[in-house]
Amino acid sequence: MPDNRDKLRGLLLDVFLLDPKEFRWDLKRSQIDTWDSLGTVSLAVGIQDVFGYHLTSAEATGLSSVEDIVDALRRKGVAIGDA
Amino acid sequence: MMPEPEVWSLERLLTENLGVTSVWATPSVRARVAARLPFPVRASLAELEPETQTLIVVGGGTLIDLAKVWRRDHAPSLRLIAIASVWGSGAEGSPVAVTHQAGRKIICVDRSLVPDVRVPWLDLAESLPPLVQRRGCGDAWSHALEAFMSPLATPELRGETSTLLQFLRELPIGSDPRWFEASVAACRVQAKSSVGLVHGIAHTLEGLLATAEPEFGWGHAALCSTFLWPVLCLDAALSPKPQELCRQYGLSWDAFLSSARSLFEEEAYDRALPVLEAHWTAVLRDPCTRTNGVLVRPGHLDHFRLRAFAA
Repeated sequence: MPDNRDKLRGLLLDVFLLDPKEFRWDLKRSQIDTWDSLGTVSLAVGIQDVFGYHLTSAEATGLSSVEDIVDALRRKGVAIGDA
Repeated sequence: MMPEPEVWSLERLLTENLGVTSVWATPSVRARVAARLPFPVRASLAELEPETQTLIVVGGGTLIDLAKVWRRDHAPSLRLIAIASVWGSGAEGSPVAVTHQAGRKIICVDRSLVPDVRVPWLDLAESLPPLVQRRGCGDAWSHALEAFMSPLATPELRGETSTLLQFLRELPIGSDPRWFEASVAACRVQAKSSVGLVHGIAHTLEGLLATAEPEFGWGHAALCSTFLWPVLCLDAALSPKPQELCRQYGLSWDAFLSSARSLFEEEAYDRALPVLEAHWTAVLRDPCTRTNGVLVRPGHLDHFRLRAFAA
């Protein structure tokens, strides 16, 4: 069973269509060309599908890095271990 | 509030004083239009005289969208009257236009794109083959269902769309004048939210297939009709959200699946599948796919490849 960190990594690869080799946990939004406004919508949909949590519009648009996504999920009670 | 075009009957169109008027009609109906309307019929917008005051565009969504964008960009004072050759796109009553730039589909939503007048012309639609009429129904169904499930839809919009979806269930798949109103309503609700994977597939494949198989009659509506059922099945397999939304608004998901299944075209699917496989990454990158109600992932191509929906 993949843990939540693996689930999140898989989700981000699919949402942003990233090559696994280019993924890092310290990626910023500005470094991901598919993280535009539609990417934010896809991310919110994906987080709801995978983790069952609804991100508000303000929460989703306020995310600016992968670390922000991890922090947001932890605040929702999703256990994500350190990388 | 987005403006709405006036709705005229064909009789009113024939008696109104429209000033200097030209008609731009799609080839499939040009002869019938020329026989019925007492205005010169042009083969292209380049043939319009500079003093033209009214342009009547008669055709499918693509032609009407071209006229809407051309009027906005080149002749904003021109009166634009839109007549859909068949229902489905709803382009004749919406603020949306889909255009091409450098081989990519660009979706514009702008109040200045709304035509001034639309004219439902049932006889014209009924002169087209039944398959074209059915595909128009699939186009409208796709707009309404994807708008309903869109992550950008508000509760108010979902309420409005649920009423429309119940109305669509009352309509036959085929000729019925009520499809004109339903199509315009469906297009207007998707303009306020978004569409999803059905449209991502249609926008990516329609040009490729139309070029590769011009004799097959490929177009936006054919792809929407063919992929609506497989996509709804994928959505439901991935998430309980579609069924939950339906329950919340007093709708029957199974009834929608049944309608979508009745629109499915086996032969079209078989022809389109290899092109879908070859261009799946482009489908995933399409803006419509990225606002699907359920997240679409690279691995979901197997759903289509293995025909999981037909199991």
